[in-house]
Amino acid sequence: MIEPAVEPNAIGFVPPRFGDDVIGGAEAVVAEAARGLARRGHPVEVLTTCARDHYTWANEYPAGAEAVADGLIVRRFATQTDTSGVHRDRIGARILTGHGVDIAEQQLWANDSLRVSELWHHVLDTAGSYRALVFAPYMFWTTYAVGQIAPGRSIIMPCLHDEPTAGLDIFTSLLAGTHGVWFLTEPEAELGARLFRLPSRHAVVGAGLHLPTSYDPDRFRAEYGIDAPYVYYAGRREWGKGWSELVESFAELVRHHPSDLRLVTSGVGPIDAPSDVADRIVDVGFLSDDQRNNAMAAATAYVQPSVMESFSRTVLEAWAAGTAVVANAGSAVVSWHVERAGAGLLYRNGLELIEALQFVADRPEAAANLARGGRAYVEQHYRWDAVLDRMETTLDAWLPATAPATAARERVAP
Amino acid sequence: MNLMVTPYPPYRDGIAAYAVQEVRQLRADGVDIEVLSPLPSAAHHHLALGGVRGMAALARRATRYESVIIQFSPEMIFGACRTPAQRVAVWAGLRAVASQTKLEIRLHEIEYGPLDRNPAERRMARLALQAADRLTVHTRREVDELVTRIGIDPDGVTVVDHGQAFRAATALNREQARDELGVGRAGHVFLCIGFLQDHKGFDTAVEAFARAELVDQAELHVVGSVRVDHPELTAYARRLAGLCRRTEGVTLHQRYVSDEEFDRWIVAADTVVLPYREIWSSGVMERAKLYDRPTIATDVGGLGDQAPAGTLFFTDTDTLVKAMTERATLTAGRAPAAGRPSAERSATGNAGSPPWLVDSDAPDRDRIEAQIRARVRARQLTEPVEARAGAAVDPLLALGPLPRPHAVSGRPGVSTVKRLIRRVIDWELEPIVTRLDALQRATIEATAELDGRTDPDRSDDPGT
Repeated sequence: MIEPAVEPNAIGFVPPRFGDDVIGGAEAVVAEAARGLARRGHPVEVLTTCARDHYTWANEYPAGAEAVADGLIVRRFATQTDTSGVHRDRIGARILTGHGVDIAEQQLWANDSLRVSELWHHVLDTAGSYRALVFAPYMFWTTYAVGQIAPGRSIIMPCLHDEPTAGLDIFTSLLAGTHGVWFLTEPEAELGARLFRLPSRHAVVGAGLHLPTSYDPDRFRAEYGIDAPYVYYAGRREWGKGWSELVESFAELVRHHPSDLRLVTSGVGPIDAPSDVADRIVDVGFLSDDQRNNAMAAATAYVQPSVMESFSRTVLEAWAAGTAVVANAGSAVVSWHVERAGAGLLYRNGLELIEALQFVADRPEAAANLARGGRAYVEQHYRWDAVLDRMETTLDAWLPATAPATAARERVAP
Repeated sequence: MNLMVTPYPPYRDGIAAYAVQEVRQLRADGVDIEVLSPLPSAAHHHLALGGVRGMAALARRATRYESVIIQFSPEMIFGACRTPAQRVAVWAGLRAVASQTKLEIRLHEIEYGPLDRNPAERRMARLALQAADRLTVHTRREVDELVTRIGIDPDGVTVVDHGQAFRAATALNREQARDELGVGRAGHVFLCIGFLQDHKGFDTAVEAFARAELVDQAELHVVGSVRVDHPELTAYARRLAGLCRRTEGVTLHQRYVSDEEFDRWIVAADTVVLPYREIWSSGVMERAKLYDRPTIATDVGGLGDQAPAGTLFFTDTDTLVKAMTERATLTAGRAPAAGRPSAERSATGNAGSPPWLVDSDAPDRDRIEAQIRARVRARQLTEPVEARAGAAVDPLLALGPLPRPHAVSGRPGVSTVKRLIRRVIDWELEPIVTRLDALQRATIEATAELDGRTDPDRSDDPGT
């Protein structure tokens, strides 16, 4: 198969995964930004892997280039996962517990999981053909390794959390050497300034939402046979995302406080619920955007148990649907959202989470009223048009297009 | 299909950086090439080299390729060898690779010690190297050494330009690079850059800078990091950090830098200093040449052959003092350097800090204050303890982590027994060693903190 040449002035987005059925906040932001800029007439490519699942990194999509909607070109490259993962586990445990890990070990850790040699060499060969290469999020090999090849035309969207890996030398040098940095929120930018020697070209471009004009909560309830009130969690069900704490707290609520409340969840990952409360937790599997929006609207509250948030799209989706949020105060970004919008409750530990869930179960009308200011907050701050405007402004300032593509863009743009 | 065997990015390593530039050039020229690296990396394949088994596996693989280029370094080829016999077997394996395919051995470095001690290894090395279709080095001096030390036929050795495939990683000019790095535009900037290890001799440059008394017109920046957490290397880095701290006009930037930042430092420099005690050939010298930056170097290894015209060579600290003075004089017409103590410069956040983001026409006080706070916080988080510390912590730093005794012995078999014993009792010893190191680290942190509080030069309080 002959691969299409890189169009002059193309903007290349490099996420670890890409696809309609890929779950991940950073991946969703990258996909939306790529499509949005393509719709505005920019030549845009997505350079990514053949993987759908970030646990196995198995090659599920075919390798090669294809044109998809909005004029986007997607180039996929096969993953290599032929290492034992021993270094990843051993060194990773030391990183997480705050032990010093030298550079040699950091490199072993970073290369002992997903690698994508063909993607790396594609960028090695063609980096000069791209106007800009945008990498996200910071901790994946696709950013750490590929992002080092052409720093002079690279923008990193780190999607940063305050976590031990963020301070590793391999990432601080990556961020210091890159041409520009795009942050999703002000708290993330502040964290970046604390952790890294940022290049002078950095900006908060944000991320956006497409707000539905209507919701159909009854349809969701009917579709999944859910009559009882419920709190909702959407995303990856894993320890690092706070899922375990949510399940434990919810189980305690069920055991000690009489209520009919359910925990409904969509996304990926094992439920791992204690057997005595398993029937109160409902996994609805993977949902389309419309189904997820309806699930948000039908919920009494949306729970965000993760402290590893750089933007927290689902919190904003809940507010857009008029639903209150119960969120972990450990996330600076989510706390910032909640404090600005005033449309939710923050908890600092599992005990507070139980009480917050209890409040939602006891006073659903109060929870609904609490959510009132949420949609206005989202409408005011998180429209994609404004985000794309900021991306274009920074691209023009940092990595201006050469004349031919500028002309093409002018022809296409309304 | 062709194969290159080499350390490879994203590992940061001189040979890896060298190899990737050659791979890029070959691919641009239409050469079909795959890469095999000793560790998992961006290479297409990886294979644990360093011993007999790895070399045998490479010999089997070599049959699949039209040609193989090996970027030869002792660490990659012999890193896992424990006995002279194993080394001889690895050389034999290399010879077997040559018999399977068209082989080029690009010698970046070779250890003559084992070859001098063991005639059998010397003989096998000669056979293996001469079996290659092409044997390449970077300097004439290396050819001469191969001839005199191993008996290689000089006609079979080709000298290739070390920097033939090197490309610039930054497009900044000197002023822009200095602005980005927070280095003043006026003074003469001397630069020592690379991994911090004794054989690089950066301490010599610091001593010479102090003796040259150039602080009013020049500054010396030492940039680099410790490659692995080895007691010898960390002890050297601590000594160097102490030396830099005590030397006016010298700043140590102890951190891991990207390729782009590496080049940014080269561009920012007026003179690159290579005070190496030993080296075969130098990638730093090539990058200095790439940006037309003059160098001062020792005449060791192949540096003499590699150096461009105008390089000042030195043999000891006295001659380095003279060379640095001579170089600084050339830019003496520029405005004077800051001439401040290095401690003060660190405290004011000049070097390595991000530039101020302030609209001169409408400065935003809140934003400026936020930047001040972010800088202070960033410095506290990122600066190594050694750079924050005052004098009281020095003896603690000098201790280093608790070293484990080396399991070595001249008597046959004893090393193996020692290693076995260690393995058996490791479950008991390891927690104690870990705890001791943690206690030492905590003590260093606490003492450094106290040092910082009692050192008036280091106060962050704007009122003092």
